[in-house]
Amino acid sequence: MTLAERPALISVRDVHKWYANGHHVLRGVDLDVAQAEVVVIMGPSGSGKSTLLRTFNGLEEIQQGRIVIDGIELSDDLRQIDAVRREVGMVFQQFNLFPHLTVLDNLVLAPVLVRGRHKDAVRQQALELLERVGIHEQAHKFPGQLSGGQQQRVAIARSLCMEPRILLFDEPTSALDPEMVQEVLQVMQGLARGGMTMVVVTHELRFARQVADRVVLMADGMVVEVAPPEQFFTSPQHPRSQQFLSQIS
Amino acid sequence: MGAPVPWWRHRRLLPWLVQGVAGLGLLVLTAAVVTNLVRNLSHAGMLLSWRWLGTPAGFDLGESLIPFDASKPYWLALVSGLLNTLRVVAAGLVGSTLVGTAVGVASFSSNILLQRLARLYVALIRNSPLLMQLLFWYFIVFLSLPADQAAIQLPGLVLCRSGLYLIQPHLHLGQWQAHLQLSIEFMALFTGLVIYSGAFIAEVVRGGIASVPQGQWEAARALGLKPPQILRTIVLPQALRVIVPGLNNQYISLAKNSSLALACGYSDLYSVAETSLNQTGRAVEVVLLVLGSYLLIDLLISALMNGLNAFVQIKER
Amino acid sequence: MTALWRALRRGLFANPLDGLITIALLLLLGHGIRALVHWAVHQAQWTVIKANSTLLALGRYPEPDRWRLWLVLALLCSASGLSWGLLRGPGWPRPDRISATALSLLAGLLPLALDLEPRVRWSWLALAALLLIWRWAVGHCRPALPPWLLRCWPLIWPLVYLLGMALIAGCPGLKPVPPTLWGGLLLTLVEACFAWLMCFPLGVLLALCRRSDLPLLRWGAVVYIELIRGAPLITLLFLGQNMLGFVLPGGLSPDRVWRAAWVLTLFAAAYVAEAVRAGLASVPRGQIEAARALGLNPLQTQARVVLPQALKVALPSLVGQFITLFQDTTLLSLIGLMDLLGTARSVLANPQFLGRNAEVYLVLAVLFWSCCTALALGSRALERRLRHEPSATQP
Repeated sequence: MTLAERPALISVRDVHKWYANGHHVLRGVDLDVAQAEVVVIMGPSGSGKSTLLRTFNGLEEIQQGRIVIDGIELSDDLRQIDAVRREVGMVFQQFNLFPHLTVLDNLVLAPVLVRGRHKDAVRQQALELLERVGIHEQAHKFPGQLSGGQQQRVAIARSLCMEPRILLFDEPTSALDPEMVQEVLQVMQGLARGGMTMVVVTHELRFARQVADRVVLMADGMVVEVAPPEQFFTSPQHPRSQQFLSQIS
Repeated sequence: MGAPVPWWRHRRLLPWLVQGVAGLGLLVLTAAVVTNLVRNLSHAGMLLSWRWLGTPAGFDLGESLIPFDASKPYWLALVSGLLNTLRVVAAGLVGSTLVGTAVGVASFSSNILLQRLARLYVALIRNSPLLMQLLFWYFIVFLSLPADQAAIQLPGLVLCRSGLYLIQPHLHLGQWQAHLQLSIEFMALFTGLVIYSGAFIAEVVRGGIASVPQGQWEAARALGLKPPQILRTIVLPQALRVIVPGLNNQYISLAKNSSLALACGYSDLYSVAETSLNQTGRAVEVVLLVLGSYLLIDLLISALMNGLNAFVQIKER
Repeated sequence: MTALWRALRRGLFANPLDGLITIALLLLLGHGIRALVHWAVHQAQWTVIKANSTLLALGRYPEPDRWRLWLVLALLCSASGLSWGLLRGPGWPRPDRISATALSLLAGLLPLALDLEPRVRWSWLALAALLLIWRWAVGHCRPALPPWLLRCWPLIWPLVYLLGMALIAGCPGLKPVPPTLWGGLLLTLVEACFAWLMCFPLGVLLALCRRSDLPLLRWGAVVYIELIRGAPLITLLFLGQNMLGFVLPGGLSPDRVWRAAWVLTLFAAAYVAEAVRAGLASVPRGQIEAARALGLNPLQTQARVVLPQALKVALPSLVGQFITLFQDTTLLSLIGLMDLLGTARSVLANPQFLGRNAEVYLVLAVLFWSCCTALALGSRALERRLRHEPSATQP
């Protein structure tokens, strides 16, 4: 099955969102993300890309439109929202690790509390995940003792421990010192190669070029252009895309 | 948008339902309390009424700014009590600020002895109950003052067992008199409040001065200024930005602490109210009046301090 | 020797003004201390303390039931020793050795000074020994203890409180002792402990409501907190004593001791709420988002992620509140309860001991001051220990 024929894991139809102060932040967004697809969302600040990302796991509400994640529609039903959150993992710009728990406990907390799994089994899986992201020796340290790059890798492992079907990344490397950006991008690349469905909001052009299946440009709350990275970066169609690329290149 | 969501899972409905239940619970509780109150009060023949305020009080006040005796009505007694409270609070605010600032500044002194004594004072006062300190000042210090005949006489003031006499004290038929007379009860309460709040204000001042970056001191010293000048002209104005909000809390504390005047025999608002309540049994009305008055005093102090805060902030821009 | 002399000179006599201040202070201090010592040794009559030590400590608790109080003390000493051991771990650093020595000296010499019976004197020494043995044993075994035990040890205090109250007040199997007979330090501690234990969960609940998104809960909490914080404690105690009879359904009239205890609790809860609120505000919003994104429900988020961080930040203010609460129990004497201060004042009203204000108040002041200072020092040690546990993230 080609990419275009695969069923959509994330389906966004005509989504509108207004902030309390009346600002129209999302203006009729349509988007599909297929299984095992890596979609990179780019755009100027204030374009609504982070807001859109956060609607995918219910952290932001929408006033109009329809979002379906893995067959579950996001609505006011708390049970459905919880079900979606179990299938969707999120990695934040500020890592948001729990500082009062060790690295291992950070990973173990959610599967035990939310999925009701047994602590020892989760612990085993957590150690394997930490090894996969290269943090195995730091399992018993506290987040405050780790560098930024290490913390972000722990955050990725923490999301993976819930065995999600989709991973969302909200500018995962923007808060890192330049020398640590690569170690995190490498982990993300590994995940993509492993077939994880990922939606990434980022400014990292090389990552988008190498790993993305599609690049989405957002501006002023709307999707301006959607294209595979080779086409997007070499010959952008929309004048807004050309303006954006000229600004950041 | 799909099938209707049951109410116990609805993201928007659930919070309102929770509030509704909480509100209902609160309403039921209030209704029960009020019903009981009304029922018990009417049984005792004590339903809410304010007419008793006009009846003669039947007790005397230790001191009063306005003329008062046992034949005057209750409301006058309460007003007199309120004036007494305001008098000691106003004086206390000024006194404790002076003491607190002096001690707070002293804890940065270059003289180690002075510094240590300042910190010792704060540590001693903060960890002792205020009531004990008031009892100490009243029973052990002020009541041990010599009688009129052997009064302590200093230029301009006379201190003895019957009070502090300022502004042209002179003997009249064996008793001291002056234009400004302060009773021993007032003095004891005043001293206790000033010493107590002074310690806390000293901490606020110390925290404020400590919050000014070290670079300011260094730059000023490099310019050739001496420490007292630096403190006065550069550090203190900046420290005030941090100090003034902290002072608000301490001032309100002092106003509330003045209610312990009972221990010193001073006729403040609370002690007058307590006597009134004991005599009339009008619990609800008296309590409402007293709580309302203290809340008003707090609001007044907060309003004043907010104004001062704005003034201190504007000065910096 | 010369280095010390130079340091003193710099600290005390750096310039003429400093020198003058130093001399004036030294003279004042010297005079004051000499007068105090002279009074304490020659003029003060300490018999008032010796004669009334039991009254000041226990009130009028019936003689045949006092063994129950010894049991409560034993429980308290064990719990204290346990907590101390768990906080410190194995080994005896210098502050601990100083505290242990001070404690032993106090337990040995104070009963002697108070002319207590030999049986009582040995009991005090035994209690001090009990505390130190628990401290040593638990500290020694701490590395081997399971982690869940290390997390749950604060629960021992409510348990001790419940057991203690059952012993003091009486329960099925023990003769009841009515609260009117409790007095002195016993009553003070009962009131303070009740208020300490109850105001904490109430305060946390209030703080959570205060920060809630639901307007009714938030404004309800605001109204409560601001009303309580604007009222002097004595007026609220007075209200509790007088109005409660009108407010409760006819016939129900709880003892004055419990009325005061509840007022203290509700009063302190407002201040605890403010301290916890500051702690809650210090937890970054991202923590809640991360927890929700992982699928934790609001209750789990608050309990496992937000509150542990918030309480760590609020700990210094919280301990300050507890110290203030302990000092506030003295106000109970103003509403006629026979707490430590109230008993002291009734002792002073006794014609036999008329005029002995200074001795009694001095002893009480030293007692309060020592307890509060010990609590403050303990809190600073706890703070230091929590700070050494690395916990802050650096985004």
